[in-house]
Amino acid sequence: MTLQLFFRYNKAMGAIQKYLKQSATYKIFSGIANLCEDFLDTLGKITIKGLQFFKALFTSKIDKKELVEQCDRFGISSLPITLSIVGMTSIIVASQVANEMVKQGGGHFVGLLMTMLIVREVGSIMSGFAIISMIGSSFASELATMRVTEQIDAIKVLKVNPVEYLFVPRILSGILMMPVIVIIASVVGVLAGALTTAMTTDLGFRAYFDSAWHGVYMKDLGVSLLKGVVFGGTIALISCVCGYYASGGAKGVGLATTKAVVWSFVAIVVWDMIFAVIFFF
Amino acid sequence: MSIEVKNLVKTFGENKVINDISFKVNDSETLAVVGFSGSGKSTVLKLICGLLTPDSGEIITSEGDIAMVFQYSALFDSLNVADNISFALRERKDLRKKFKEKDLKEIVRQKLELVGLKGIEDKFPSELSGGMQKRVSFARAIVTEPKSILYDEPTSGLDPISSTLIEDYIVRLKEETKAASIVVTHQMSTITRTADRVIMLYDGKIVFEGTPEEMLRQETPYTKQFVTASLEGPMKMIA
Repeated sequence: MTLQLFFRYNKAMGAIQKYLKQSATYKIFSGIANLCEDFLDTLGKITIKGLQFFKALFTSKIDKKELVEQCDRFGISSLPITLSIVGMTSIIVASQVANEMVKQGGGHFVGLLMTMLIVREVGSIMSGFAIISMIGSSFASELATMRVTEQIDAIKVLKVNPVEYLFVPRILSGILMMPVIVIIASVVGVLAGALTTAMTTDLGFRAYFDSAWHGVYMKDLGVSLLKGVVFGGTIALISCVCGYYASGGAKGVGLATTKAVVWSFVAIVVWDMIFAVIFFF
Repeated sequence: MSIEVKNLVKTFGENKVINDISFKVNDSETLAVVGFSGSGKSTVLKLICGLLTPDSGEIITSEGDIAMVFQYSALFDSLNVADNISFALRERKDLRKKFKEKDLKEIVRQKLELVGLKGIEDKFPSELSGGMQKRVSFARAIVTEPKSILYDEPTSGLDPISSTLIEDYIVRLKEETKAASIVVTHQMSTITRTADRVIMLYDGKIVFEGTPEEMLRQETPYTKQFVTASLEGPMKMIA
């Protein structure tokens, strides 16, 4: 009798479970749970590989040839696109702001506003976006392809540390090259802003630059450089991690690249917010 | 004893891919691991070389390196043939200080010669045929003088003549290196030409163990079905 009741209870519970699994509420919550699990899993992997990178940085020999190659890829090959994006963003902002400010009697603040905006934000964040789309996606797809073609397995079987061989040169190139890119991009941005202001208003270059110098402090330059270091390292780390843990075939490479781009975008915006709160609040 | 596997178990999710298997491979011996696709053959290799961790069981290997030849060669496509072969000697912490550039060139030349290739040091993997890529991956695998060599479907995707050539090199490498070798395959010619012993996996378990000749005699329902490539028999393919 007890056994019969037990089986009946089990059967009923099974039916309830089956019904619940088909309900929209279950699907929504299980979808959220999966998203949370994936988020925590990725965050954990990024943290672990980040720590392994710092360990390898101080304990292993850095392959200078590979580092130079990655620096060239990170800094030089991405420069035309990065400068174009920052330059065009500055032109867009200046063309909308300069004329209006002159009309309102604030013409002598145009240079100050533009320079402050470019040095503090546009130079670093827009360069970051350009680097993510060019270099981050390329790091992720390269490592993901190596994963799905068993090249990363081959590295492990040959007893070579994948973090030292794959991560260190790429992340280090990001840390070294991104500040340089940010500085060059900021200079180009300020000049593009000056040119646009001169072309769209009666303000000359001199008036623009006279006011520009008042808007930039050493602290701004320092924070901008620091942002470059953090953004560059973060983009390279996230892209390498997403590529390294790819699975499946061509679809897996695509998914890893998308994940790297999305995570990098969100990460540098979060970093930017943290910088704004710490240094300019 | 070069490779000994004891009561190995590996599960992926709820699927028990390897279910309590044990076997031994001696030095200078080649063991063929055969079975249907998805029977866990490659998983066994990945467990032995440390790419996967077993749920339970033990893998005992002699001191020294374990080399692996991958199914699709897994050559580094951004490196040329010479850099592929000398990769471990250049990048491994314990080896990189031992060899000068001149030594590396000589080692690469020797290893290429051992697999019947010459003068392709500067070529990239994409410039080589499938058979040549496979032989370069052999050369890369043996560069550290391993005590055990694992081959994951070394002749899959090759024409019959290239397969014969690869099989000859598997035998030759065993003689040269005296290593314990495991060849995962489902090609009959590879089994008969390279293996000293055979184990057959089905449903995560060993269902046959013996010599290639014993397998060809088809004395068990499993060997009969495998050798005759029949759909009828105890092994069911999961479509």
